[in-house]
Amino acid sequence: MSVNTQSVGGEKSPRTNPLKSVSLENLQIGGLTLVIVIFSIIMQLNFPIFLTGQNIGVMMINFLPEAIIALGMTIVIITGGIDLSVAGIYPFAAIIVGKILLVGVPIPIAIVLTLMLVAALGATNAFMSNTFRVHPFIATLAMLLILRGVNIVITGGAPISGFPEAFGTIGQGRFELGGFISLRYSILIWLVLALLVGYSLKNHRYWRLSYFIGGNRRSARMSGVKVERYLYFVYMLSATLAGIAGIIVASQFNAASNSYGQNLELRVITAVVIGGANLNGGMGSVLGSMLGVLFIALIYNAFAMSGISTYWQDVVVGAMLLASIFLNEILKRWRSN
Amino acid sequence: MTPILEVKNVNKTFGAHHVLRDVSFSVEAGKVHALVGENGAGKSTLMNVIGGIHQPDSGEIILDGTTMSINDPWQARQLGISVVFQELSLTPNMTVAENIFVRRESTRRFGFVNWKRLNQEAQTILDHIGINISPTELVGNYSVGMQQIIEIAKAISFDAKVIIMDEPTSALSATEVDRLYAIIGELKQRGVAIVFISHKLGEVFRIADEISVLRDGRLVGHVEPESSDQAQIIHLMVGRSISDLYPEKGVDGGEVILEAKGLSSPPQFQDVSFALRRGEILGFAGLVGSGRTEVARAIFGADRLGSGEIYLDGQSLQVNSPREAIEKGIVYLTEDRKIMGLFLTMMMRENIVAASLGQFANAAGILRHKAIAEKSKSFVELVDIRPKDDRINVINLSGGNQQKALLAKCLSANPKVLIADEPTRGVDIGAKAKIHQDLRELANQGVGVIVISSELPEVLGLSDRVAVFREGRIVSVLSGSDISQVNILRDAIR
Repeated sequence: MSVNTQSVGGEKSPRTNPLKSVSLENLQIGGLTLVIVIFSIIMQLNFPIFLTGQNIGVMMINFLPEAIIALGMTIVIITGGIDLSVAGIYPFAAIIVGKILLVGVPIPIAIVLTLMLVAALGATNAFMSNTFRVHPFIATLAMLLILRGVNIVITGGAPISGFPEAFGTIGQGRFELGGFISLRYSILIWLVLALLVGYSLKNHRYWRLSYFIGGNRRSARMSGVKVERYLYFVYMLSATLAGIAGIIVASQFNAASNSYGQNLELRVITAVVIGGANLNGGMGSVLGSMLGVLFIALIYNAFAMSGISTYWQDVVVGAMLLASIFLNEILKRWRSN
Repeated sequence: MTPILEVKNVNKTFGAHHVLRDVSFSVEAGKVHALVGENGAGKSTLMNVIGGIHQPDSGEIILDGTTMSINDPWQARQLGISVVFQELSLTPNMTVAENIFVRRESTRRFGFVNWKRLNQEAQTILDHIGINISPTELVGNYSVGMQQIIEIAKAISFDAKVIIMDEPTSALSATEVDRLYAIIGELKQRGVAIVFISHKLGEVFRIADEISVLRDGRLVGHVEPESSDQAQIIHLMVGRSISDLYPEKGVDGGEVILEAKGLSSPPQFQDVSFALRRGEILGFAGLVGSGRTEVARAIFGADRLGSGEIYLDGQSLQVNSPREAIEKGIVYLTEDRKIMGLFLTMMMRENIVAASLGQFANAAGILRHKAIAEKSKSFVELVDIRPKDDRINVINLSGGNQQKALLAKCLSANPKVLIADEPTRGVDIGAKAKIHQDLRELANQGVGVIVISSELPEVLGLSDRVAVFREGRIVSVLSGSDISQVNILRDAIR
């Protein structure tokens, strides 16, 4: 059954350039990949140890917290929000799990208790911004400041250590398979989480609602999405991932300190935006965010290796942030013509 | 035939404001029931009550013979009542299929989306209404008109029994309007009841099977189009007859104030020349996209002018930005008040003086608030904005009053030339007559006025001369008794 008038095509600009038929997201990810490859080649030519297994391992371990936390931040930013509190939750989780372990609670219970506690902090973030209509920037900034203070109060400003030996397995132990695969458990955890979050965000109906909420919140409401309830899920997820990262780092160093995670929130947000997410909401992907983290890890590593003053590394990362936003804007305009 | 949807004695108040008073209203399956009324008459509230966004204080909503209580739009949709909103409720960065089926996607186990099924189901619905839209394309890549049609597809996907359309043609081009009419015809055949809200009486008479008129929250008339005419409807809407929707024409003979010679900016417009005299209203007629708005924006400095010369008061004029244009005395009343014209979340007063702040600052740049208040007050009186309190935010004004505020903003800049682009779009009849009158008075004071309008009656009723645009060129300039609907259409379409 069809209308008797002729079927008429959608009025879009004709697509002559093949590049224009690639989605903006893929174009951005492609560009970032290209930058990373070129940068790696240049580094490899000058410093032959750059792409050795050992150096890559160091990079991954150093930026594992950022990579795990960026998973949550990606969803938060897709919904049009932001979560600064991760930089407070991350050391908080390390300290809390340590304190609980020192009391003698079994390891699995200590971990579950810690994650429940940080999830509650995430829920508080969502509650603040839902109930009092506070922008998430302010709600999570308040949470960050409070936790920074709390972390110092609990530890007295000195690192705590002396956790049970078995606890160290998470951050230091290796997963061996038939002599071929040998991965740190912590990296395995990140890999599983990234695949899970990335796949769900692309294909799961509930997770995809984050794009609707960030793209047009009013329309999401009209479609019956319970936006407030959803934001609880999003901020609790973000906090939980920051908590997991905190537990891993406590295990890795067999110590917990309030000084963990300085400026971590900014590095994570930078990585997610370089990866193609838009702070206005509705855009972003796990793959892009992971490439963003990789890019920052490469830059930091390269500066450490080359002996150039590391003060310059933030200049480069900042410039890349501007460049990626600039590129995003240019691509958008070019495609709309 | 029994109605599929019936609204009985509905009352709704917001604070002390009684918006709906004892309204009863019904739609039959396969019929189009038009709902007309001035802005603020209660049409939107009635629609929101039916669509589940607001709950009535008293009264009943009866669907298929059963009294319903509808708590939210989602529930309304599931019951078979879909509202196609004026502000589109789609998400531009998602695909057509995802937008149509949000929260109802076909899934595999554990809630993972079955993309193939989802896209097929969307394709089926799009085929039903005979529209060639790709389900996998992002919604943002389609025109606003197409998005409106995607909205309707979404409504259909709920097996809607009642579809409410709020000003569906306000953003559509002529061909898109025809397509919409075809879709409405198709829906009627399928037995869907349609509530059609519109300001454009012409299209209401073309498409409606019955017409209901709201005024001040009351249903004041229910007529069949065959036994009624536009004059009767207008009379019902305003409660008085408006004989003078258009003011007297001007007297000619003023000197040329603005002259354009060979303006070109391909591909939008080419070799456009015209002269505007003091005290005259020059109409720009033509189809949407024929270059009318583009020429106006180039003169105003909002877009770059490719080549050509502009003279103001005989002096050659170079304008590179709207700011320069305003300083020289050329003011442009934009066609899109929400996006380009008004600061919605700021006070009416701040909006009115926004284009002329320089007049109110002392040497150090500090604003003289008392002078601003006085000036603003005088303009509120002049263009008759209601409510008169100029400290309320513009977002809280009705559409007609927002448009008046925009006009006041333009007037406060003391223009020599005013270019009014669609000055009465989405505005009720009363406000329309007032705006026309204001434009004519402005011309009588010696200002040159250009009116761009897609509504032919407005061009006819208001203009002393009409320049007809076609494909980026002025193809004829009509004056006196040559100005007629037939002549304009002949030149604009051919």
